[in-house]
Amino acid sequence: MGELDEIIKEFLVESNEGLDQVDCDLVALEKQPDDKELIARIFRAVHTLKGTSGILGFPLLESVTHAGESLLSRIRDGRLPMTPAIASALLSLIDFSRRAIQRVESNGSDSGEDGSSLVEQLRSLTGVSPSIGASADVDLYSGQPETHRLGEILVEDGHLSQQAVHEALAQQQSGDSRKIGEILVGTGTVVPKAVVQALGTQADVRSASSASTIRVDVAMLDRVMNLVGELVLARNRTVQFAATSADAGFLSTVQSLNLITAELQEGVMKMRMLAIGNVWNKLPRLVRDMAQACGKQVRIEVDGSETELDKTIIEAIKDPLTHIVRNAIDHGIESPEERRNAGKPVEGVISLRAFHEGGYVNLNISDDGGGIDVERVKAKALARGLMSSEQLARASEREILPLVFVPGFSTAEKVTNISGRGVGMDVVKTNIEKIGGTVDIHSKVGQGTSLQIKIPLTLAIVPALVVTSHGERFAIPQVSLVELVRLDATSGSKQIENVRGAEVYRLRGNLLPLVRLDRQLGVEDRSATDDNLQIVVLQADGRQFGLLVDEINDTEEIVVKPLGKHLKNGACFAGATTMGDGRVALILDVRGLAQEAHVVSENQRAMHGESLSAVANKEDRQQWLLFKAGANARMAMPLSSVQRLEEIRKSDVERSDNQDVVQYRGQIMPLVNVAESFRLEQATSSDPLEVIVHAHRGQSVGFVVSEVLDVVDQTVVPELSGGRAMLGTAVIQQRVTDIVDIDQLAEMALKAAAQPSAALIGA
Amino acid sequence: MRVLIVDDSSTMRSLLRMHMKRAGFEVVEAKDGVEALSILPQAGALDLMLLDWNMPNMSGLEVLTSVRAQQEYDSMRIMMVTTEIEIGGVSAALKLGANEYLMKPFSADAVLSKLEILGLKVA
Repeated sequence: MGELDEIIKEFLVESNEGLDQVDCDLVALEKQPDDKELIARIFRAVHTLKGTSGILGFPLLESVTHAGESLLSRIRDGRLPMTPAIASALLSLIDFSRRAIQRVESNGSDSGEDGSSLVEQLRSLTGVSPSIGASADVDLYSGQPETHRLGEILVEDGHLSQQAVHEALAQQQSGDSRKIGEILVGTGTVVPKAVVQALGTQADVRSASSASTIRVDVAMLDRVMNLVGELVLARNRTVQFAATSADAGFLSTVQSLNLITAELQEGVMKMRMLAIGNVWNKLPRLVRDMAQACGKQVRIEVDGSETELDKTIIEAIKDPLTHIVRNAIDHGIESPEERRNAGKPVEGVISLRAFHEGGYVNLNISDDGGGIDVERVKAKALARGLMSSEQLARASEREILPLVFVPGFSTAEKVTNISGRGVGMDVVKTNIEKIGGTVDIHSKVGQGTSLQIKIPLTLAIVPALVVTSHGERFAIPQVSLVELVRLDATSGSKQIENVRGAEVYRLRGNLLPLVRLDRQLGVEDRSATDDNLQIVVLQADGRQFGLLVDEINDTEEIVVKPLGKHLKNGACFAGATTMGDGRVALILDVRGLAQEAHVVSENQRAMHGESLSAVANKEDRQQWLLFKAGANARMAMPLSSVQRLEEIRKSDVERSDNQDVVQYRGQIMPLVNVAESFRLEQATSSDPLEVIVHAHRGQSVGFVVSEVLDVVDQTVVPELSGGRAMLGTAVIQQRVTDIVDIDQLAEMALKAAAQPSAALIGA
Repeated sequence: MRVLIVDDSSTMRSLLRMHMKRAGFEVVEAKDGVEALSILPQAGALDLMLLDWNMPNMSGLEVLTSVRAQQEYDSMRIMMVTTEIEIGGVSAALKLGANEYLMKPFSADAVLSKLEILGLKVA
């Protein structure tokens, strides 16, 4: 029965939409219990659900909605006042129905839950004893138009008394087939002119709320979008091709192809747009339930619900938005007493604002709650070892607040069961960044917190900067772009400074870490000169860095094509696109690139204190030896485990038992190459070798590193990472650094030497 | 034979459409009374209108009253689609010019027998 399946699908969609609307309306109704239009709309939705579930054979759903319908019809007719108890019961009805519909969707049947107590509850509120049943609840007046009745308009316009309308309606009910206007004119209660005028008003109001729409399968829209994407690419190629042509006819054809494609692209994008109100609709209910659960009074205000966004983006921001609002209620808005004491209105306000600006959608979510205490964030950051006290002293508020986005970072003293341990703000940020958006946070103690989210209108076609590095072209999504810096052609390389092995550029007094795109991607040509470099200043994770490229080409609208599965692991790439000349360019994933290059902190993984090992317990300050292993890995070990630093000439290294050894103070000391142990990219080997000597169970072991960088004195709390012989990673000197478990490494290295062919440390 | 289905619920329209098509009807639809009234003049000859009772903007009764006030649709039968909650109004609807009523929830048989009563059954 394919036809019936289709109808059931339609039923699921319609019912869910109806329930969402009822959710909102019910919450609104609690504030304006006399709003007849709201009541009528709620009634109609429940009524429709009852009717359709009855015909489609979902008896449980039918029985509960029937009970709800009876209750609502009494409220609608003014025979029962709206009370908080009724509102709560109706909300339970909505939740119950939603679960039943969920079951229909997954099992094809609504059964699986007992609805009798809910039915009982609704009936007792209706004032009907269960034994009498529904047949007694016949309603003579229902079915009358609820809104914009002619009579109502006449009363509103002052032409008529309520009483006269009732009389005319009664006459209609008793069989007078004339229209209400005719009856009224007939009895002389109103002049014909007033009726004509009122009819005009009625028509205006009604036509305003009727629009013709059709439902289209999303998969179909996706397909059309894809095709338009292809068309855009073909257009780009044609336009480029036309540049070499002198044929006027061809040129004008290309010109119109160009225009039509642009319009088509815009049109298709619009088709996929949904108003953000679709997501916001669910929030009033959430706010109500949560505020009640927290014992707070919270109101939600929305502005710009009609702002439109691509459907995929709407989906992607749904959860982050919900989370932000939850957080605002749970941690932001104070309890009514606290608010009263602070001289604020008892009811807290969460306001949501959405608007378009420069090809992006801006979402502002702010609360008038307690705000975030920067001092507490600082204390926490210090305790967590995210920043040293000197760094914190120097850092501005703007730099401190984003720390709340670090995983596991929560300043709430009380762990509540609602938003938990503050886990989630990191997820919010990650999810928003995943769709090419940014999050900014501002807060003032005592005044509230606000989050500014900026997201692209669509994901499929994005403006990008095209750059060339080592003859290859790459596209960089413009959302991450901050500025472009051109290095002086004659002294380009001289403007790049080298700070302990890392390249930086002094940009208006700040040191900008640099990443060479070609080197990072492993396509470096060592013979190339630094004479003609450009710096693309990019932003990722709230930090800026400079990307060194050979050439900056142009900006272009690119169509994002996902990479094949086998290329998904390349963290540096977000996809591929076809350029105007038909060649393929890779799209850079700025965030991934920054993390690969260790120019922004990589501490996005879990930082839950309880899972940390031994070192975490010694949160006191400690001295760390910082060194470089292989080509570019930064590592550290406690200085206390270092016996000496030695330089050993290569010619002194001997081989014994499959192990490099050296004679050292009358002993034979095994040498462990750290880069090799961790399978890192090897550095060009230096002579003499840099060796860190460590005493392992009374025996000296030499660790060969590529460079000893520094000794730092700071609190280091490593975050767990997967690798063996690793205590984890931590941020030292604002760079991600691996903390080596030196004893384990020594043990493993020596054991592996005893079993020649075994791999040293599994990946 | 042609029928105009007027209902604000898309599920309900689909259900009625299914039944009416099976009964051999050509189907025209409107999602509320306002749309129904605007469609009527251009919809061509219609044998039947299935009219929901409870709709936004304009109730079934209002649509009924308005249609019956226009003589050109006299030959079109109107069947109100109701639930027991509106049953009190059915007699009024019949007096206002409705020809028959169909009570929700309905079965395929119920639809067919109502069509028979209206003399619209297609063999």
